[in-house]
Amino acid sequence: MAQKEQILKIRDLDISFKTSAGEVHAIRGINLDLMKGETVAIVGESGSGKSVTMKAAMGILADNARVNGGTIEFTYHHADGTKETVDILKKDKKWIRSHINGKRIAMVFQDPMTSLDPTMQIGKQIMEGMIWHYKTPKQEAWDKAVELLREVGIEDPEKRMKEYPHQLSGGMRQRVVIAIALACNPDLLICDEPTTALDVTIQAKILELIRRVQTERGISVIYITHDLGVVAKVADYVNVMYAGKIVEKGTINDIFYDPKHPYTWGLLSAMPDLDTNDDRLYTIPGSPPNLLHEKKGDAFAPRNRYALVIDDKAEPPMFKITDTHYAATWLLDPRAPKVEMPKELRERLTRMQKAAGIGDVESFLKQQDEKGGPEDGSNE
Amino acid sequence: MAATSNTPLLEATGLRQYFQVTRSYTVKAVDNVSFKIYPGETYGLVGESGSGKSTIGRSIIRLYDPTAGKIVFNGADISGKLDRKTRDMLRVNMQMIFQDPMASLNPRKKIGDIIGEGLDIHHTCKNEKERDEAIKRMLVKVGLSPQHATRYPHQFSGGQRQRVGIARALIMNPKLVIADECISALDVSIQAQVVNLMKDIQQETGTAYLFIAHDLSMVKYISDRIGVLHLGHLLETGTTDEIFTHPVHPYTRSLLSAIPEPNPILEKKRTALTYDYKTSGIDYNKGTEHLVSGTHYVSCTDEEFAKWSKEAEVPIL
Repeated sequence: MAQKEQILKIRDLDISFKTSAGEVHAIRGINLDLMKGETVAIVGESGSGKSVTMKAAMGILADNARVNGGTIEFTYHHADGTKETVDILKKDKKWIRSHINGKRIAMVFQDPMTSLDPTMQIGKQIMEGMIWHYKTPKQEAWDKAVELLREVGIEDPEKRMKEYPHQLSGGMRQRVVIAIALACNPDLLICDEPTTALDVTIQAKILELIRRVQTERGISVIYITHDLGVVAKVADYVNVMYAGKIVEKGTINDIFYDPKHPYTWGLLSAMPDLDTNDDRLYTIPGSPPNLLHEKKGDAFAPRNRYALVIDDKAEPPMFKITDTHYAATWLLDPRAPKVEMPKELRERLTRMQKAAGIGDVESFLKQQDEKGGPEDGSNE
Repeated sequence: MAATSNTPLLEATGLRQYFQVTRSYTVKAVDNVSFKIYPGETYGLVGESGSGKSTIGRSIIRLYDPTAGKIVFNGADISGKLDRKTRDMLRVNMQMIFQDPMASLNPRKKIGDIIGEGLDIHHTCKNEKERDEAIKRMLVKVGLSPQHATRYPHQFSGGQRQRVGIARALIMNPKLVIADECISALDVSIQAQVVNLMKDIQQETGTAYLFIAHDLSMVKYISDRIGVLHLGHLLETGTTDEIFTHPVHPYTRSLLSAIPEPNPILEKKRTALTYDYKTSGIDYNKGTEHLVSGTHYVSCTDEEFAKWSKEAEVPIL
C-alpha cells in the first residue's frame, strides 16, 4: 500500500503556563502523528492537556504559555498543488493568523452558543472566512455558504442564511459551526469536545455528519474528547493522555480490545456499557494531579493500584507492544511482575469481542496491522 | 435494591407545570405527567434538554408551584398551598443534589456549615457537640475526612465538591433525594466514584432517588425503573430491563439507538434511528396510557399502540 501522506507531526512538545501560583507544567513531551484522511482521537480527563496540545497546533495558546521545546510540523497544499511543511511553533502569530487559522486548520469548539457571534447573521459568519482568506467575491461566497449549509444538513438554507444564532436549536448551531469550519476547505479539522453540550440523539447525528464530510472531502480530523463511546464511533487511532503525557496510543482496536495501561483500564471500566450488571463500577481512586507540583516518577502512580516501586522513582518510557500499539507503564517491562487487568473489564472485553465477532484478539490485531491500519475494514 | 413496598413514597398524578412568558404565550414545560416512586428505589428520568426533566424535579420539591395535578409524598398532599407541618416534613424528607457542584455551594461558608445548615434550621440537634458529630459522621460517610469541615468550597476538587453536595442532602436522613444531573459536570473516572457512593448510601439508608440525567448508560446502570420524557410528556415508563430490552415508543427507540457504545467495530457500522416529532404525525396530547407488560406503560393512541407493538418486535441493533 502507498505511503500515507503525513499532515501533522508533533515531536517532544513541552509547554508550561506561568500562573500566580507558580509554573504549571501542562504538556510534558508529546509525540503525535496524523496522516491524511485519518481520524485521531485524544482522550483524557479535564486538565490532562488535550486542548492545550491542539491549541498549540493552531498557534492560539494563551499569553502566559511558554513553549519549552519541541516541534509541530504541519504539511499543507497550496492552491496550485505544491506542498509546504512549516513548524507552527517557529512562526509568529500574525503569519499563523493569515495562513493557518481557519484556512488550513479549522476548529469546532464545544459550545456552539459561545463560538458563534450572537449579533451576526449566520450567513455572514460563514462567508467571513472565505472573504478574509481568499478574497472571494461576495456573491460567490454567498452561494458557497448556501451550499455548505445544505451539505451540513440544514433545510431551507437560503432562509437560514439571514437568521441569527439564537433562532437555531443547539444541534443546528453546531451544524453551522461545522459549516464555518469547512468554509475555507481546511486540510485539518480539530473538534474540541464537539458534542459535549448536545443531547445524545443530536450527538449521533453530528458525529455522523462529521464522518460523512470527512470521507467526502478526504480531510483529517482530530477529536478531543473524554467520551469513549464517541471515540469508538469515530476514531481510527487513539491517544490516551494523562497529566500532560500520552500514556497509551494505538489503533482503535488496540485500545478497545487489548488495552495495556492501567489508566486506560480505568477509563474503559468507569463507563458502564449497556450490558454492565455488576453492582459496583471499577473506579480510578483519587482525582487528576495538580501539575503545579510535579511528581517524581510516574504521574499516575498515586492512583494506580498496580503501581510498582519503580513508578515512584522513574518515569516509564513508551513500551512497544505491536507496531501500532505503545503504552507508558512499567508493567510492560520484562522484569515487572505479570499483572492482569481487572476481572470485570476482562469479562466485558470478552463480551465486546464476542459481539463484534472477533475470535482471538491477538491474531485479529495482527491481521489488522498487516492490512495497514483499522480504517480499511471500517469505512464501508 | 428493588422496590418491595406497595405504597408509593411519591405519587404524581396529572402533573402540569406551565410558565407564562407573555399574556398570549405559555410554555408547557410539563404536561400531564403521572408516575410513582417507591421507597428505596431509584427512578431515572431521561430525555433531551428542554424535555422537562429538571422541571419535574423542581415542581416536586416545590421550588415551583405546580399549575395542576396532585403530588402525594409520604402520605401527605404537597401539591397545593403548604401548611407549616407539611412544609417542614417536605423540607426534611426530600432533598436535592444539583448539577454544578461549584455553583451550588456558597463560596463564603465553610463545608461544615454548608452541610449543617439543615440541622440548624430544623433544630434537629440538641447542642453544638451533637451537630458537629453528625457533620463529621456525614463527611466520613461520603468519603471525605472530618478535618475538611473547616475548609471552604474552593479548596476542593469537582468530585469532592459533589460529595459535599451529597452530604448536605443526606444529613437530614431524607426519604427521597432528587439528583438533578448530579454527575454530568464531573470527569468520567470521578463519575463512577460518585455513582458508587450513591449506590452504597442507598443500600445503607434506604433512601429513594429520582435520578435525572441524559447519559443513558449511567441511568441504566443506577436505576430500577425509568421514565422517558419528551417535550413535557412522559412517553414510556417501566423497569430498566423492560425499557432497554423492549422499547416501544419510536422516541425511546431513537434515544436508545443513539447511545454510543465503547465497541468500535459495532459502533462504526451503526447509524442512529431518526425521530422527528413534527414529521412523525404523533400527537402527544392524544396519547393515553397503554400497558405493554408488567409495569411497562407507553403513552399513545390505540392505532399507534398496535403499530408500534409490531415494530418493537424488531430489536434496534
